[in-house]
Formats: sequence, C-alpha cells, structure tokens
Amino acid sequence: MDNTAATQRPEAGDHASPASGPWPITLDDVTVRYPNGVVAMKNVSLEIGAGEMVAVVGLSGSGKSTMIRTINGLVTPTAGTVTVGPHRISRLKGAALRRARGDIGMIFQSFNLADRTSVYRNAMVGRFSHTPTWRTLLGLTTAEDRDIVMRALDSVGMLEKVWHRAGALSGGQKQRVAIARALAQQPAVMLADEPVASLDPPTAHSVMADLADINADRGLTVLVNLHLMDLARQYTTRMIGLRAGEVVYDGPAASATDADFEQIYGRPVQQRDRLGQQ
Amino acid sequence: MTAADAVAGERSQLTIPPRPRTWPRAAAIVAALAAFTILTTIPAIGGVELDFASIARNWTNGADRIVQMLTPDWSILPRTWQPLLETLEMALVDAAISAVLAVPLSLWAARPTNPNGVARRAVRFVLNVVRAVPDLVYATVLVAMVGVGTLPGIITLVLFDIGIVVKLVSEAIDSADAHYMEAGRAAGGTQTQINRVTALPQSWPAIASQVLYSLELNVRISAILGLVGAGGIGRLIDEMRGFYRYDALGTIVLEILVVVIAIEVASNLLRKRLR
Repeated sequence: MDNTAATQRPEAGDHASPASGPWPITLDDVTVRYPNGVVAMKNVSLEIGAGEMVAVVGLSGSGKSTMIRTINGLVTPTAGTVTVGPHRISRLKGAALRRARGDIGMIFQSFNLADRTSVYRNAMVGRFSHTPTWRTLLGLTTAEDRDIVMRALDSVGMLEKVWHRAGALSGGQKQRVAIARALAQQPAVMLADEPVASLDPPTAHSVMADLADINADRGLTVLVNLHLMDLARQYTTRMIGLRAGEVVYDGPAASATDADFEQIYGRPVQQRDRLGQQ
Repeated sequence: MTAADAVAGERSQLTIPPRPRTWPRAAAIVAALAAFTILTTIPAIGGVELDFASIARNWTNGADRIVQMLTPDWSILPRTWQPLLETLEMALVDAAISAVLAVPLSLWAARPTNPNGVARRAVRFVLNVVRAVPDLVYATVLVAMVGVGTLPGIITLVLFDIGIVVKLVSEAIDSADAHYMEAGRAAGGTQTQINRVTALPQSWPAIASQVLYSLELNVRISAILGLVGAGGIGRLIDEMRGFYRYDALGTIVLEILVVVIAIEVASNLLRKRLR
C-alpha cells in the first residue's frame, strides 16, 4: 500500500493510508434516550475544533460516557446529528460505520484487552478496519500492518512486551497497550473514557501525559472523559462540564474555578474530586 | 480507655436491624420438593411404580452374576486388546472432529460472539434437535445406513460430542466477561474479526476442557454402542453377555475403568496447564 495517499479523503478509496490530519467533531442538538426511558443526553450541541485537547467532566451518570460513545457510533443518538471530519456518524451503518470507526481511536477505563492473548494480537485489533475479514480469519497480516503495530507499541514504550500475554501486565502497562491499539488505527481523533480511573496516581499522571503527547506531537483531536478536576486543569486546554445529560460548563480548563466545578458536580467540591500531584 | 472498653461502650449504642427470617421460606421449598418427589412415585395419579420389596425377593438371582464379575477371568485379556484399542482410536478421532466443528458452532451459539438473534436461535435449535435424539437411536439408524463397523460409531459420537461441547462452551462464553468486544467494535472490526482475534483465545480453556471431557465420555459410550454393532469394546461386551460370561465381563469393566481413570488424570494435567 502507498503511504503517500495520506492526503486522500477516506471516502476517496485507499483506506490503508492514515486518516488525513486531525478532524473537528460536531454534535448538533443530540439527544440520547435509552430503551429503559433514561435520557442520558439532552439537546447537546458542541463544536470541537481539529487538534483540540478537551476534557469532558462530570460525575458518574452525568452522560459523559454516553456522549463519547455517540462520537464513534457505539451509541446511536435518538435525535440530532454527530459529525466527525468527513463522516456523518449518526447516519452511518454497517461497513461505512466500521470504516469511520477505523479513523477514531478509543481507550477505556477497564482497558478492554483480551487477557488470554498476546500484546501483539491485542494491538492488531487496531488494524481491523483496514483489513479484509477473510485475511483476519486466516490469520494473515501484511508486513505494513506489523510495522504499524510495532511502531505504535514502541511509541508507548511497550515494544519489549510485544509477545507477553496481555493479562500478565500491570494496569498502567495494559492502558499503554490499549493506547497502542488505538494508535495502530492511525486515527484522526482519539477518545478516552475515564482512562485513568482504574490506575494509581503516578500511573494516572503518566497515562494522561501520554494522551497530551498524542495531542501535541501527532496533532490528534483528543476528547477525554474525567471526573477529577485537577487532571482536567493540568492536561487539557478546554473543559466541557456535563450534569444530568446537559452541558453546564464550556470554557478553558486551566482557569476553571472551584465554583465552576461545584456547578458541574451539583455539590461542594470534596477531597475525592482531586487525584493529587505527581 | 482500652480498646475493649471502647467496644463495650459502642455495643450499647448499636441498633442492629432485625435479621430477616429466611428459614420458613427455605423449609417451604424443601417441603414442596419432597412432596413433589413422593407424588411422582404414586402410580394411582400417574406416578412411577417403585417396588422396593422386589429387591429383597429377587436379589439372589443377580448375586451369582456379581460374584462372577468379582472373580474376573483374565484369560479374556488377549482378546480385548484389539477392540479396546479400536475404542480408544474412535474416542480420539471423535473428540478431534467434534472439536473442529464445535469451535465455530460455539461462537455462533453464544450471545456475545453472535449478536444476531435469528442466526443464534437457529444454531441453538438445530443443536437442541441433535441433543434430543438418543445416541443409541443414531447408532441403530447409522448401522442400517452405512453398515456394521466403526464408521456408524464415529458419526454417532461426533453428533453426541458436538451437542454437549457446543452447549457447555457457548454457555461459558455467555457468562464470561466480554469487555474486549467493545474495543474491537470501536476499532471498526466485524464480528468475525473480533471473534477470531480476541474471543477465540479467550474461549480456549472452555473449549479444551469440554473436549477433554467428551473424550472420557466417548470411551464409556462406545461400550454401549457395540451392542448395536457400532464397533469398539462394546461388541465384545455384547458377545460375553450373550454367553453369560460374567467373569470375562468383570475383566472388561476393570479395563474400561483403568482407561477412564488414565484419561481423567491426563486431562486434569492438561487443564492445569491451560489456566
């Protein structure tokens, strides 16, 4: 495959090429009502510019997990539209949706690795959308895919562990493998759903720093769900506050006051809302 | 104030919520089960007839056979090697064939690995039908179709094994944690890709464990399948039974016991390594 095709738009054909530059994300009047009647998002409209580093802050149940999942179509909005770069996510289905997801990396609170298989195979998951199903079924990988995966693992310092079982790694190492899996997609956008909530404070800081590097060095648009105020202030430039499915704050992260957080949380700030310094 | 005093001081202030009374419920459930069991043995209302007194009347008829079996006739041993080897070969071939067939079927029959409800129910329905037919019926029909020998026995055991392995493995997949699936979907993978790269390695222990169990079952069942001419040690059992050679049967039963224990020991060792 020819990597000079990077300037092509994804719908133009060659999909083995990296997605073209960072993409903006637009939510237009998005509402999500779950089948059990719970309204997780109420008429949310947001513009996130290409290459921004944004924290979405809110307590559990505020709708931030739902919001991040509407961006890659894991959750379909009941009303409204979600646009990521050239993809109108909320209208896509089947193969077109899978192609769009291929351009959007995601990491999770519980890492979501297959513990019984190797770090290598877990990172190969990032190449799914660029690989025909029959090739995956037969276990055939291209030299280019192997190269992309190895470089992704190297960039998070996990190349040494490439043949280890994912289940044998520590929490911080697992999250780095998960970041490598997302980077192997060569995405234009990176989503992170509470990426450090299962990690100890020093590891949490280093994973947040990795995400900040991805934003700074690779220029990806990064959207990260957090519930801790100091992490949002330290590592992101813009903060969106969610409460009961509605945007209650949208502004710079560094200068957000405790009063702003109290508005987001709907209660006074407590000790457990901070992780503590490195 | 010592720690003991502190505890004593606190004890007076504790208001323990009333402990819920659960035993009347447990007693009612046990009583209902007991009543139901007794009712099934009353012939007047359609229950089964259990005449325990017949044991006292007739036990002497079978006693001499048991005594014969307890004094095994070792002279039969040379004649058993060949059919016993055949039984083992059948068991192994069956376990291998059913393992290959059970892997995709198990993934299709489990909810996390096959979100398509219609396809999943279709696979499960077919497997229910396969399980509903008794193995002796398969063997009898297949002997008529393909002739006496090991082939009908092999096909019967494969059908039997698939029924068991797919059911147990797909239930294991259903109840296992499947967070890793979300990562595969978020990366734009098809269900087949997710199953091949992540769900399959996650399910290996369940698959291997059930296939080893089916290997053990195969040895036991092939002892019965010989009765209808489907090969293996069962053919010799049928012959000895026909001649009332219960001392020879005792030898064969001991041999099967040794084989089953050997398989169990081997599969326990393998299972330990899989964890």
